[in-house]
Amino acid sequence: MATPLQFRPLLGHHFSSPSPLSRKNTHLFSSSRYATLTHKLVDMAFLCSSGQCCLVVKASAKSGSAGQSQSVKTVRHQPNHGAQTLNPVKKNSTLTTLPKAPPLVETTTTTALSPDLLETVKNVEVISRSEKNAVVPRVSVAGNYTVKGLFRQLVRQLASLPLAIAELFAIAGLSAIGTIIPQGESPEYYFQNYSDGKPVLGFLTWQWVLGLSFDHIYTAPYFLGLLLLLAFSLVACTSSRQLPMVKVARRWSFLKSEKAILQMDVTDTLPCARVEDIGTLLSAQGYEVFARGPSLYAFKGLAGRLAPIGVHAALLLIMAGGTLSAIGGYHGTVMVPQGLDFQLSDALRPMGILSMPADVLNNSVHVDKFYIDYRPTGEVGQFHSDLSIVNLDNQTVFSNSISVNSPLKYKGVTIYQSDWAISAVQVRVDGSEPYNLVMAPLQKGDNKLYGTFLPLGEDGVTKAKGISILARDLQSVVLYDQEGQFVGVRRPGSRKPIQVNNVSIVVDDIIGSTGLELKMDPGVAPVYAGFGGLMLTTVISYLSHSQVWALQEGTSLVVGGKSNRARFEFEKELNEILDCVPEIRTKKQRGDFSSTETATQKQ
Amino acid sequence: MIFIILERILAHTSFFLLFLITLIFWGKTIYTRNEKLDHFGKKGMVIAYSCVTGFSLNRWIYSGHLPLSNLYESSMFLSWSFSLIHIILEVRSPNFWLGTITAPSAMLTHAFATLGIPKEMQQSAVLVPALQSNWLMMHVSMMMLSYATLLLGSLLAIAFLCISFERNTDFPVYYYDTKPSIFSFLRRDLHSSNREKKGSFLQKKFCLLSIDYRRWRLTQQLDHWSYRIIGLGFPLLTIGILSGAVWANEAWGSYWSWDPKETWALITWLIFAIYLHTRMNRGWQGRKSAIVASLGFLIIWICYLGVNSLGRGLHSYGWLI
Repeated sequence: MATPLQFRPLLGHHFSSPSPLSRKNTHLFSSSRYATLTHKLVDMAFLCSSGQCCLVVKASAKSGSAGQSQSVKTVRHQPNHGAQTLNPVKKNSTLTTLPKAPPLVETTTTTALSPDLLETVKNVEVISRSEKNAVVPRVSVAGNYTVKGLFRQLVRQLASLPLAIAELFAIAGLSAIGTIIPQGESPEYYFQNYSDGKPVLGFLTWQWVLGLSFDHIYTAPYFLGLLLLLAFSLVACTSSRQLPMVKVARRWSFLKSEKAILQMDVTDTLPCARVEDIGTLLSAQGYEVFARGPSLYAFKGLAGRLAPIGVHAALLLIMAGGTLSAIGGYHGTVMVPQGLDFQLSDALRPMGILSMPADVLNNSVHVDKFYIDYRPTGEVGQFHSDLSIVNLDNQTVFSNSISVNSPLKYKGVTIYQSDWAISAVQVRVDGSEPYNLVMAPLQKGDNKLYGTFLPLGEDGVTKAKGISILARDLQSVVLYDQEGQFVGVRRPGSRKPIQVNNVSIVVDDIIGSTGLELKMDPGVAPVYAGFGGLMLTTVISYLSHSQVWALQEGTSLVVGGKSNRARFEFEKELNEILDCVPEIRTKKQRGDFSSTETATQKQ
Repeated sequence: MIFIILERILAHTSFFLLFLITLIFWGKTIYTRNEKLDHFGKKGMVIAYSCVTGFSLNRWIYSGHLPLSNLYESSMFLSWSFSLIHIILEVRSPNFWLGTITAPSAMLTHAFATLGIPKEMQQSAVLVPALQSNWLMMHVSMMMLSYATLLLGSLLAIAFLCISFERNTDFPVYYYDTKPSIFSFLRRDLHSSNREKKGSFLQKKFCLLSIDYRRWRLTQQLDHWSYRIIGLGFPLLTIGILSGAVWANEAWGSYWSWDPKETWALITWLIFAIYLHTRMNRGWQGRKSAIVASLGFLIIWICYLGVNSLGRGLHSYGWLI
């Protein structure tokens, strides 16, 4: 019996022996097609791969048979012999003789099998012990002061719910502080705004702010330590609470007594009903139903118990990826005028200790063109940069055009369009060759203003007089004469000359600079995986694990059930199911000799 | 031009309808059950929902992008979400008290959008380059839907706290006739299933006719439904935050930059995670968890409106008040 046995059910052996060995279905109604099965007693004889025939028989206690207790008799027969004589191996043997390995997952199909039985074979579970409540295994350590004992105690402390809630509250509170106090400003900012003279909220001076690291709270050691503690709590909770609970939830058992069932949240006793009918109805509602003799157990939504483990795992993955992003990889920002290029190894700076240098850093990036799409109203439509990546041999290995929401990705380096500036204005003065006047920023930020100066005359720097040219965007320039008076506006490329102080100027072009953000981030992959997992598992966690037990007591049926999240919805659903259970009336009750009639029991 | 006229008509009609429905639902809890008004309440919500849908579609067509780019449009979307949730819950499991909470929420957010925002900010503007992305649809719509569900769940928790506040007061048993006014709404759920009288544990605790039982039943329902609705809103919030993070990574190269709006969304997420965890402990179910959910109500409003008025961070460009 060491090899995992493969069972193949044989159909059709009906025993003619009377009810003491009344064999009820041990099988599972996993589809609503069960309704077509008859209520006759069908025996399942399994042909083992080892050539022996094992018959699994349950003697029902309810039919007042010889066996007082629920016992399972495992019988061995000669191969190809119809199961006739039953030689019980021993009374009250449990199913420990059957292999522990998932027994009936294999179905070698024969055409004689009905599809129901095929499905049912897959689902029979091994029941080792009937217990009312499976106990979560609590490991008792011999000495609490051993390393193992201390570790277990630590894990138990970390997994406590109040601690977790306190941690979450603390993280929330500290994050809120970070939004109220501006982060990352220079110390002078805090000296000014949180001065000793007028402290914010009566007490918050710059000493508080800088001393408690409130200016960079999200990278402060205590904040990071809190996140680490949360990570440990997640691991402790998953290992010590969630995983054992899943084992308990999956290890179900039939309830043997009416009293046990009536202690459930939603219970009822139906006077003339059969357990098979409720089995059918439950499976039609999507429950997985298991029945043995007079007992029935059905459940639905077990994924709702498993998903919270996935949530914790996804959170841990996100934290790990975030840590990797923070201390590994490269990051940099550049502002490059159109037509120039820059080295990737210059622009990208390592983030932390896990930053690994890569070959791609040997390349340089050339800005072929930078242009802005403007709308008819003058507002910005989109920023575009045409970039090409050039390797050490001066060959263009990759080129692409980027805009704000579509970055360039090349071998782990991602280049984003993030900013822009004006670099120079190209002019022709009095018919000369075009030359560039470099523009300097007068105002940065959202309302950019750039200006340049064309000197006329050579009276020295202190008395330099000239023409000022200003530009807000790449669409037009404004010219002022040497007294500072406004002269006119020109669009670059219009080839219309303008006369300023007896000088004729033609504005050919405004050359822009593109502001690029570069990144190499090894943490993106685990973080994205964590994101996807978190999205999925939080959705699945909404499901509620509903369980229903039923017991046939004579002609009446006792039903009880509970659901861990959706109490009222489950109550409603179960009530609707119980409303549909047919009422069975015997011939005597009806007083005639036709076949059994059924009437729906509506209340 | 036709678009603007249509938009105005739809906005005014939907607001008027929502106002009427609010009055009807509130009145339903006070006066006798009137079948016609009941019916009008239900149908009216569907009509108001379709009006706001029409409004959004209209705006979508003539602006060329999903109508979610500024405060006005997102508030209208919030109002739309409230009416959508009401319809879904009404179909799934009708309750008498659902309309009293969803209808005024829908109406008040609609009122804030149309009356509380200056006309200049209501104009549909072209999208700035940073918003020209497909992620806009997913991120903002998920966030607004999650706000609506979480707000609804928090309101139910607040209602629970209000009703169960005076727990130990002794109420006299009132005599009532066949069509009682005050108690009709309480008694209605009793008839939904007779069976629970027999086997359920409720019977062991309360006499059916005492007002305490019905009030207790109502508080149980509120507690349960606030849990379920917040349990539905939490995954939506998760999806919204995470899609925002992915969008930020695709647009600016960093999926989390501790922007005030991002941080407050995270705080909202944490508070509702705390709420869901307090429900695990049998002793904390009920009042303690409802207090956490009520706190969540405040925090959602800070996250949605408060942060934008700070004037800092990535999210303040379009929505400065």
